[in-house]
Amino acid sequence: MSKKNALAALLLTIMSASAAAKSTLNLYTSQLNDDAQMTVNAFEKAHPDIDVKWIRDGTTKLTARLQAELAAGAATPDVLLLADSVTMESLKNQNLLTPYKSPQTARFDSALYDKDGYYSGTKLITTGIAYHSKAPVKPESWNDLLKPEVKNMTTLPSPLYSGAAQIHQAALMNDPQLGWAYYEKLKENGAMPQSGNGAVMTAIASGSKAYGVLVDYMAIREKAKGAPIEFVFPKEGVSVVTEPVAIMSNSKNPEAAKAFVDFVLSPAGQQLVLEQGFLPADASLPVPQGFPPRDSIKLMPLDAAKALADTEANKKRFSDLFGDR
Amino acid sequence: MTSMTMHQNASNHSMKGLLWLLLCLVALLSLLPSLRLLFSALVDWRQGADSSLWRVLNNRATWVALYHSVYTSGLGTLISLLLGSLFAFCLALTNIRMKQIWVFLFMLPMMIPPQVTALSWLQLFGSNSILLNSIGLAPEFGRVNPLYSPEGIALLLGIQHAPLVFLALRTQLQCLPKEHIEAARLNGASLWQVFSHIVLPLCRTALWGGATIAFVSALGNFGIPAMLGIPISYYVLPIYIYQALSSFGPSMINEVAALSVLMGILAIAIVTLQARMQRRYALPLIGMAGRSLGFTLGKWRLGIEVMMGLVLFAILVAPLLALIATSLVPTMGVPLNSDTITFAAWRGVFDVQSSTWRALTNSMVLSVSAAMVLLILSLPLAWLLVRYSSRPLRWLHSMIDIPYTLPGVVLAIACILLFSRPLPILEISLSGTLTIIFIAYLARFLTVCLKPVHSSMMQLDPAMEEAASLAGANFSQRLIDIVLPLLAPAAFAGALLVFLTAVNELTVSALLWSAGKETLGVVIFSLDESGNKVLASAISVFVVALVAMVMLLLSALSKYLPKGVIPWQS
Amino acid sequence: MAELKLEQLSKAFGDQTVVRDINLTIPQGAFTALLGPSGCGKTTTLRILAGLEQLSGGRLLLGDKLLADKMTHTPPELRDMGMVFQSYALWPHMTVAENIGYPLKLRKVKGAARQKQVMDALDLVELGAYADRSPQELSGGQRQRVALARCLVSEPKVVLLDEPLANLDRHLRATMEQTFRDFHRRTGATFVYVTHDQAEAMALASHIAVMHKGELMQWGAPRDLYLRPQNAWVASFIGKGSILSLAIAADIQHLDNQILHGSFSHQTPYAMQPVLVRPEHVQVADTGLSARVESCIYQGERYLVDLRLHDGQQLTAFHHSALQQQQDICVRLHQGWRLEAA
Repeated sequence: MSKKNALAALLLTIMSASAAAKSTLNLYTSQLNDDAQMTVNAFEKAHPDIDVKWIRDGTTKLTARLQAELAAGAATPDVLLLADSVTMESLKNQNLLTPYKSPQTARFDSALYDKDGYYSGTKLITTGIAYHSKAPVKPESWNDLLKPEVKNMTTLPSPLYSGAAQIHQAALMNDPQLGWAYYEKLKENGAMPQSGNGAVMTAIASGSKAYGVLVDYMAIREKAKGAPIEFVFPKEGVSVVTEPVAIMSNSKNPEAAKAFVDFVLSPAGQQLVLEQGFLPADASLPVPQGFPPRDSIKLMPLDAAKALADTEANKKRFSDLFGDR
Repeated sequence: MTSMTMHQNASNHSMKGLLWLLLCLVALLSLLPSLRLLFSALVDWRQGADSSLWRVLNNRATWVALYHSVYTSGLGTLISLLLGSLFAFCLALTNIRMKQIWVFLFMLPMMIPPQVTALSWLQLFGSNSILLNSIGLAPEFGRVNPLYSPEGIALLLGIQHAPLVFLALRTQLQCLPKEHIEAARLNGASLWQVFSHIVLPLCRTALWGGATIAFVSALGNFGIPAMLGIPISYYVLPIYIYQALSSFGPSMINEVAALSVLMGILAIAIVTLQARMQRRYALPLIGMAGRSLGFTLGKWRLGIEVMMGLVLFAILVAPLLALIATSLVPTMGVPLNSDTITFAAWRGVFDVQSSTWRALTNSMVLSVSAAMVLLILSLPLAWLLVRYSSRPLRWLHSMIDIPYTLPGVVLAIACILLFSRPLPILEISLSGTLTIIFIAYLARFLTVCLKPVHSSMMQLDPAMEEAASLAGANFSQRLIDIVLPLLAPAAFAGALLVFLTAVNELTVSALLWSAGKETLGVVIFSLDESGNKVLASAISVFVVALVAMVMLLLSALSKYLPKGVIPWQS
Repeated sequence: MAELKLEQLSKAFGDQTVVRDINLTIPQGAFTALLGPSGCGKTTTLRILAGLEQLSGGRLLLGDKLLADKMTHTPPELRDMGMVFQSYALWPHMTVAENIGYPLKLRKVKGAARQKQVMDALDLVELGAYADRSPQELSGGQRQRVALARCLVSEPKVVLLDEPLANLDRHLRATMEQTFRDFHRRTGATFVYVTHDQAEAMALASHIAVMHKGELMQWGAPRDLYLRPQNAWVASFIGKGSILSLAIAADIQHLDNQILHGSFSHQTPYAMQPVLVRPEHVQVADTGLSARVESCIYQGERYLVDLRLHDGQQLTAFHHSALQQQQDICVRLHQGWRLEAA
């Protein structure tokens, strides 16, 4: 009797061991720490056979790490969830991505994903104007930042350090009403660049600047906690980064990668985005708390390939304008 | 005449063998990252004018950034020297009261991330300033804060690194033979004359050592120039390199490597200069530590104490208060009062499940083990460097500084390039483990531990070892019974410095960490970047408190430790 | 007999020869001094004896045991020698007792036996009460005594002393000189004492090696060096005296009053030779050679008088009472020693 039990136990162990044999998915993401954890947890719950190992960092550092690992010939991640489409374009051009047309993208606006399926946007992070609640003028449009009453009071994230700021610059330069001249006038009005959106947020909240060019969720989220900050989606429109997801071409686990892409684009994944406080890419979902209705937000168009080609030139322009002292 | 024949008398061959092994290890640690970067920088040299190195060198912006770096670091070093030596001299040579507390407090600002000090000063002088608002002097929106300037950067760099100079000097001052000073005073010299004619020249070695490490730290500092320099487009080399990182394309690594080579050359130049200065000024002070000196300050004493208190207030208390205040509000910008006060952030810190706790453990393990290993490594290394003193060894000595001067992000890239693939022969991959961060720390902080030990070794009277030799001690007995105990205080001071620097370290681990292996610096920085200043502040305060507790613990154990180990206890 | 033999010992640092062809045999148990001005190579020679420097040429033997030559080098820890340093070299991280006990600890003498030997050594230098003090708390003289005790506790065959009294004041020096003599007598070890102070060397040593610019000038007992110096340099280095150029026969060395005074008359057919005349052999008298007083310095027990003879040569003399400057007097020369021509 005991021999049979022992055999059964052994078989059970082997079976459960093989059942528990999880496959690993390596994820590089530029989401915020808690958001990344939330996403990973939800995914692992939906797919208990996949174990996700993830690294979260700013886009710049993440791509630097990626490039270094590639140069060293080391293993790279399976799936990327990075800030913007321009970065993805660059990786696509280096043949580092594998196309995958997820069935989930059918529900999305076609502007949000690459037509060949190399990457797909997951949310809409817009850049608008944030201002201190004690600021003298309540801005409603980008041009309001050029008014003499607000001289020396504005700060903006530098495209030399922030991917979102690069996209913002490209989008604004494309807009016939604003263009590069807008930046020149902004500089004349005493605007100061910061290293990133976090720094802009801090500058306004701490009171050293009254106005800032800032991503939507940061201002709205902190306002909900009681920070003295307001946010407005300017009349001319806002630039958008979509935080696309993409599969790397030398992924060791393409099946799990595809499952991940499907997950973040699924209704469940998009609901998660909503809960995290971002505008979901799926237009059928409501907007998060503190956001105006979706149709009142005007999105500025962006040609990702053109933006990529112009990146260095744009950065140089910005750097020259805001002065090499 | 040197006692260079000592090494020829070594009868213990296995000890000698160990020493050479040690030298190889050190050479590997310091040279490998630099060489790998050099390789990357030069790998496309065949492209001639299109190669990364040429592009970098040809770009005016590179040289402008270099000039900016040297200017702010130089000015900052002067400030560090001033501040650090002021405190060191006041505390070592005079009869100021409560010495131990002053020393303890002066070392704490190193624990506060430089961006925090910068931010709290910006706030102090900004329109939201509680202080200025209450006296009605708060500037309105639109006034440019004077801290946004090269001089502002230099000032904050100076303050950040003053404790380094302080520590270097203090170790030396405690070995000042009292007879020298007594002789001068008997000749009628005033306090000021004694200071400038006797004490200052005798401390030149330590001053040069401290100045070098302050300069090199300032060169590699990222946080302060990022916060104060980017808004005015005043770029220094680390910022410029960071910018280069955000370029697209595979040649980016090569360009970054080329820029790092430039920084590496700068580091070697500084260190060579320092070595030359130290050789010129090193005096084999008789190996007797003098009794502690006590110039009476008379009526000046209260004035000096007040001044020191003000300085400490500015560099320690104000930022710390700002940090604490920020950690207790729901979000930044909300004024702190009885309605708004919340401990949510603090609950987050102590949540054992959180990444904070994990990061804390990781950072502690990394810092403590790095400190211990480097302590053991630098003792025999310092002996070798001083007693052997040949040209190849001097070259090695200057190379040891490079991993520290290079911006952390560059060292991280070098480590990734070196260690991402599984190691040959051993076939283990270090990528994504704590080990790769540990190795990076060893390479980076070796010079931090070595400097005080090396200074100390240069002051060691060779007669100490000769006397032991004639008493019958062989090579290893001399090292263990005589040299090591005499170097121990400097070694422990160095190890403590490594611990303090490593625990808050950010830029290296930023690229090397992976899930579950994050460090405190990484966690604080990513929280900062994403706008969650409240939790970031709470963790920073927690770290400062933790380190303060560690230092207090050391104080309590002081009677079991060799004399002079704990810098703030005489 | 374990005598210390130096054969053709030389030492060069780079292309600078610091010690050149020293030939010396130091008898066992002798108190020898290496005497000379700074830079003469005496410390280097001592360090070669100790094994702290490697010799460039020649041999060093203790008895019939070869300590060093060009091929071999016995390290200091195996030479069974002791050394007292000018800077005392006491280890600051050890107490006085631990300093003294260290050589015993190395020889695996443990516990009560070690304790006893240390206390005995301390009592000998009269520092028994200071056993648990740290060296920083001691005065210079006390530190020197501890260094001596540490040196002797291992009962070495040879004791080397490198200008041990240079940092002490005059009264302390006198006491320490006595201490050294006592220890030498008690232990019977060979003492090799380096100094630039010839009075000290003559007071302590039974044999003195006078060195100059790396070479051995003369080796002998103090009295020999004083009365019969080999050349002009040694003559002027040891003791006070004047070297006169006199026309005398080249075959006699010891000159008496007659010959000395005779050489001043212009009758002699001899060539000029250097002659040493010590001040105690010059007497101010009513008759004799005429001389003029140039200076007269009070020294406590007598006056030191500088004279100029009628032919312009300088002469030093002693006198019991003061003499006026520019006073004309007569002197008698009682004894002189002809020096080898340089």
